[in-house]
Amino acid sequence: MASRAWWLFLALIGPLVGVSFISAVNTYAEASGLHGTAAGVGEAFSPLVGVWAPTFSACELAAVFLLPFVAIRLVAGDRQSGALKLELQHPMSSLARISTKASVLVLGWLIASLATVAAVALWKSYGGSIYPPELATVAFGHLLNAGLIIALAAAAASVTANPSTAAILTLTVTVGSWILSFIAAVQGGFWERAAGYTPTSMVAEFQHGLVRLDVVLIAVTLILTGIGLAAVWLRLGVAARRRAYESIALLVLAAAVMFSCTFARASWDFSENRMNSFSLADEETLKQIHAPLRIEVHLAPEDPRRVDLENRALSKLQRIMPKLQIAYVSATSIGLFEQSNPHYGEIWYDLAGHHAVSRVTTAEGVLETIYSLAGITPPESDENVFRGHPLAAPPRGAALVFYGIWPLLVVAAMIFQHRRNS
Amino acid sequence: MAQIHPNEHTKSLVRVRGMSKAYGQVTALRDVEFSIRSGELLGLIGPNGAGKTTLFECLAGVQAADTGEFMLEPGNTKRIRRSSVLFYVPDGIAPWPDQPVNWALEFCLGFFGGRRDLYQDVVRDLSLSGLLQSRVGALSKGQRKRVLLAMGLLMPQPILLIDEPFEGLDLRQSRDVEAILQMQVSLGRTLFVSIHQIADAARVCDRFVLLSNGSVAAEGTLDELTALAAGRTGSPPPSDFEEVFLALT
Repeated sequence: MASRAWWLFLALIGPLVGVSFISAVNTYAEASGLHGTAAGVGEAFSPLVGVWAPTFSACELAAVFLLPFVAIRLVAGDRQSGALKLELQHPMSSLARISTKASVLVLGWLIASLATVAAVALWKSYGGSIYPPELATVAFGHLLNAGLIIALAAAAASVTANPSTAAILTLTVTVGSWILSFIAAVQGGFWERAAGYTPTSMVAEFQHGLVRLDVVLIAVTLILTGIGLAAVWLRLGVAARRRAYESIALLVLAAAVMFSCTFARASWDFSENRMNSFSLADEETLKQIHAPLRIEVHLAPEDPRRVDLENRALSKLQRIMPKLQIAYVSATSIGLFEQSNPHYGEIWYDLAGHHAVSRVTTAEGVLETIYSLAGITPPESDENVFRGHPLAAPPRGAALVFYGIWPLLVVAAMIFQHRRNS
Repeated sequence: MAQIHPNEHTKSLVRVRGMSKAYGQVTALRDVEFSIRSGELLGLIGPNGAGKTTLFECLAGVQAADTGEFMLEPGNTKRIRRSSVLFYVPDGIAPWPDQPVNWALEFCLGFFGGRRDLYQDVVRDLSLSGLLQSRVGALSKGQRKRVLLAMGLLMPQPILLIDEPFEGLDLRQSRDVEAILQMQVSLGRTLFVSIHQIADAARVCDRFVLLSNGSVAAEGTLDELTALAAGRTGSPPPSDFEEVFLALT
């Protein structure tokens, strides 16, 4: 594990996290009124969105562009150097061998994540507010993402003959998932549903404090599949044809498991400001509606109104109403040329035979329509709203920690490890 | 294939039958059959490209043979894991290149359950003391060969398969390694070594498996092979092993 690639990865992640943290804290401070700027309001002062999401996004970058090389070095390096020919003679199963390596890589990731722990400590020292559940959710999301990258890199390194090919394959898949997200944004439909399970989308949800059971289960399935594929292809002593059949069987099984995971509806909103949920009063009221609700949205995938509707209302509604069915109707991807269609922009509601049509895309408008269809009186507005945690403090000492102390500590640890080995 | 093995079944430690391996259209091993006897230094002799390394890797389970039987202690009905009785020392590898030699040796001792009691002797016999702090990846070909041999000698398995044990070594080192291998045999270990230098093989080995184009051309002691060569050519027995090899392959 303690290869040059690993030390370089460790040395770089500190400054990467530092850049993101310093930039985020500066912006947060300015929005909170530092230097006489006008203070924002409410949700704008959630450290989850204002500080932790951007700070941890450095981990996402490191996971996509640095971690694969460390993982590939650990798995493919043994094959390239010939060490695998020795290791294969140990009775340890290839699954146990690759699992051990993956565990070492996860441990390495956790060590690298100490950079974010330093950011949390600094934030606390500035007097910043910390809400542990949402912070833990973000960290968990990035750990899952790192697990996905490790499993993918391990599988690529095992299937391909050399590290360069493995690196190309890994980056193709990760960058390919971005392309999938792009296609989803344009095409909608199936692509949109598939893109919801890409690492980028997964991390984005965790960064908003949302944990969805289906996403976690699919991520774990993908991790196990990658490790399984790596184990299959590291058994060089087994005929290639048999390994190919085993891989196909594993992929088919994984696809079936992932498909069944998509039916898991449970989710938990760990954000302090409940940004993924309606107010508790609205949720209690919505739970009283047991009839199936169908919403037909006549908006194109790239129409900003549809994005608003999804983020502010439909995604929250899906979490609380299991019998909700949403359908999108549009002839184009951007909707610009559909304006002449009289129904474009309409949202059709059907609740137990009662119909309503609306063009309002705000959460309040959607809830009002549903309550009206259900014949339910809307709840009183909830006074217990999130007021935010403004903090007009500059990131004192952060540059010294991330650009000075962190690299020095890494170099010191490297020298210590080198001396201890020799 | 010609075989001379009078008491084979009473002495055989390993018997290999019908082992074949092809890489696409290229046949690397064709119906290979031979036996390894307890406490011998068996030489696998053949020119470059004869299939020696492929045979070793198939025997060690490092790569898959297409067909073939590998029987440990023929007649013994107990299931014995192949890796528990033999260890293969590959040629031309630099395992864990970023790590120092002492780390690599310690790792082998720990991971494979090697014989720690032999460590000092092996390091001394192979003159590795001055290399222990060097990175494996920074060693010369000969130095790396000595480290690989050390790894093999530290292993607990009774049978060692060593691919080209003299490759990269100078004359003095070759003689030293030759003495070490013979000492291992005298201590009861069974060695199966591949050698492409026929003169080296004749000096070191007790018995030979001649491999040519992926097939076993003959198997036996030097005297047995010489007699076989004479019988095949119908002329007086060849004067040296190179002539024997040429006559039989």
